[in-house]
Order: sequence, then C-alpha cells, then structure tokens
Amino acid sequence: MTSRLTLLDVDRDGAIEETFERIKETDRSGFLKRAAILTGGIMGGGAVLGALARPAGAATATDVAIANFALTLEYLEAEFYTQAEASGALTGDLAGFAKVVGEHERVHVDALKKMLGSAAVAKPTFDFKGTTEEEGPFRETAQVLEDTGVAAYAGQAPRVETDDVLNAALAIHTVEARHAAWIRHLNGNPPAPEAFDKALSMDAVLTAVQGTGFITSMPAMTGNGSPSFTG
Amino acid sequence: MPEQHHLTLEVVERVDPADLVDERSRDTRAAFLKKAVGAGGVIAVSGVVIGGLPALVTAAPGAAQDAEILNFALLLEYLEAEFYTQAESGGALDGEALEFAKTVGAHERAHVEFLMKALGDKANPKPTFDFKGTTEDQEMFIQTAIVLEDTGVAAYNGQGARLTKEVLASAASVVSVEARHAAWIRDIAGEPPAPKAFDDLKSKEEIETAVGDTGFITS
Repeated sequence: MTSRLTLLDVDRDGAIEETFERIKETDRSGFLKRAAILTGGIMGGGAVLGALARPAGAATATDVAIANFALTLEYLEAEFYTQAEASGALTGDLAGFAKVVGEHERVHVDALKKMLGSAAVAKPTFDFKGTTEEEGPFRETAQVLEDTGVAAYAGQAPRVETDDVLNAALAIHTVEARHAAWIRHLNGNPPAPEAFDKALSMDAVLTAVQGTGFITSMPAMTGNGSPSFTG
Repeated sequence: MPEQHHLTLEVVERVDPADLVDERSRDTRAAFLKKAVGAGGVIAVSGVVIGGLPALVTAAPGAAQDAEILNFALLLEYLEAEFYTQAESGGALDGEALEFAKTVGAHERAHVEFLMKALGDKANPKPTFDFKGTTEDQEMFIQTAIVLEDTGVAAYNGQGARLTKEVLASAASVVSVEARHAAWIRDIAGEPPAPKAFDDLKSKEEIETAVGDTGFITS
C-alpha cells in the first residue's frame, strides 16, 4: 500500500488513462443521460468522439459515470472562478481566494480529463448570470458551489468501484471542503457549521445545479458501435 | 428518547451520527493493554509505537478491518478532543482562537462519541495525554491545531479505500469536517487554507509515527 499518494502517483504509468480509454463509448452516455436534467434535456453540439469502441478494462462504467459527474462540476467551478478573476470585480482576500481556488479547480479538471481519456465529457457552456461580476453574488455563489461539491463527492465516494479513482476522489473532496470553509470564513459565516457533513446523491446535485441555470448546454456525443445520443 | 441499542460494527450503517447514545461500558486500561500485548502489539510509554497490530494492508475490506481502522480514527479523535477540551479551559486563548477551540472541540467530541458507538465493545479506551504546553499558549495552540487537523485529513483519506462502503460513507462525513477545521485554523494563522489542489493520503504507519513523535500520548 502506497504510504503517501498523490494524483500523480495514482496515475504514475498513465495506467488510469489507458484503463479508461478501454471503456465502451456507451458508458459516457450513462452519465450524460442523467445529466440531461442540467439543461432540461437540451443537448448542444459539442465534442464528437474520435475514439473507437474498445472492450472494457479494469475501470468500470460506474466509475466513468462518477468521474464524468465530478468533471462536469469541476468544469463549472473552474469556469466560474476563471470568469470571476477576469471580471475585475474582486479585490483583496476575495481576489486571492478566487485565484488560488480557480487554480485548484482547473487542476482538478485537467486531472479528471486525464483519468478519463477519450471517455471524458466535453466542457458544457455556461452563463453565470452576473454572479462573477459582483462581489456579493460571487461570495454567495462560491459558498454554495463549494458546499455542494463537498456533498457531491461524499455522495459518490461509497459508489466508486476502483481504488485509484476513489483515492483521487478523496484527495479532491477534502480540498473542496477547505475551499468551502475558506469562503465561509471570508463571508463571515461558520466555516464548519456541523460536526458531520451531509452527502447528496448525484440526482440531487444535478437538480440543484439545474436550478441555478448556469449550464446552458451539455456536449453531445457519438461513438462507433454505440447508440448516438443527441438532442 | 431513542431506544438504546448495543451497536456493533455490522449495524453501523444504520447509525445516524447525530443520534448519540448515552453510556456504554468500556474496557479498563488493564484489559486494553492485555489485549494489545496479546495481539503482538507494543505500546511504548514514550509514544513511539501506538497499537502495533499487524497492518492489514492487503486484506479486502470487511468488518474486522473496519474495526481496526475505526479504532485508529478513534485514537486521533480522542487526541484532538482532549487537546481542544484542555485548550478551551486553559485560559490562554481569546478571540477567534477561543471560538475555534470551542466549536471544533464540540465536533471532535461528537466524532469520539460516534466512533465509540459504531465500535461498541470493540472500541479502545481513551489514552492519557500530555500536550506539552501546546494548550497553554495561543500561538503554540494554533500551530499544533494546524498539524493535528491536516494530519487527520491525511489519515482518514489514507484509509478510505480500505473501508467497507457503509463505513466509508460515515468517514467521508467526518473527513470533510476535519478539512474545514484545517482551513479555518490556517486562515486564523494567516496560512494558506488550502495549500494544495490534492490533499495527501497517508498510511496508518506514517500517521502513527508522526503522532508518536509528538509525545502527546503517554499511555
């Protein structure tokens, strides 16, 4: 058992990436079908898979769906912070928060994309409805996004089927919790409001995200030898 | 008033952490030491080795391994809870550091209760601690709290893949709170609340060595 795992260790030989690339294309559609709720079922044009369908490897369809769920949330957070930093609306400690946390979320996106390889969902299109352009709405939205991310990872961790994916999820989960405590502290709110944090199911998180209206379209996908899924 | 159950690890998944049962019997210290020695364990008074049970690193998750891991977590929670309890009443803290000790101490005490309840008669008893003055000086308190909370995060994360799924769900609800604690006290100290994009996962052995090196556990 490795004594100190980082994500780099976890994918030391590119093993995870290679494993995920051997998953059938239909596995990606499993997540996207559920994620259709995010845009009320509207699927926009997006990435077309170039990969050939391949036999499933050690990574499971469930893990691919979970990783794509996480990737979608990380795409959202990363874009939120990127836009907020660029807007010039933030100053002082809040600007510092957005810069550091944005860097983390962008790294999370990159790591999950690498893990998933050609099974990775493409980035959705977003409209943050002004919450990246004004300090008050940014504060509120960042706090909700981070708390939701914590609950989302907690909800999925017990469902992950392979150790490498679980270890990566755990390493990200607690960083999202640090983010949540940090923005709460900056907002003058209790950083750790409960002794035990609650988990949310994938459907509950997707429903909550849909309610924000931040995702305006999800990528379509097609693949060799598998059902096309466009809207 | 909830009916009192004797909870074993097998039913831990039905335990709501918010339901705290009152009293439970626990081993005397002598019985605990006897068990540890009988299992080939070694406990050094200087705190070099804690537990010393053979690491079940290659075993598949199961109830026995869950119990081993939960007792490992319980040791860390006993330590944190006592640290904050002593710091809160020590008189050295004020302002937000005191507020932190009160709030976080309550959380750690709740974690102890939850783990003891989950373990039932398998729970190890509380060790004795000597925090070597770190609860009696505000700056030392803050720096020690940072280390304890960061260590707790790495410890729980390192065990996640070794737990059964039911217990992992409970562990996940605790570890994120430890991470919030870590970020909060770091911010109080003027340190980066989230220093890295990925948190560490450390082995039980590495954590036990680090904790032993503090000398905080005296028996």
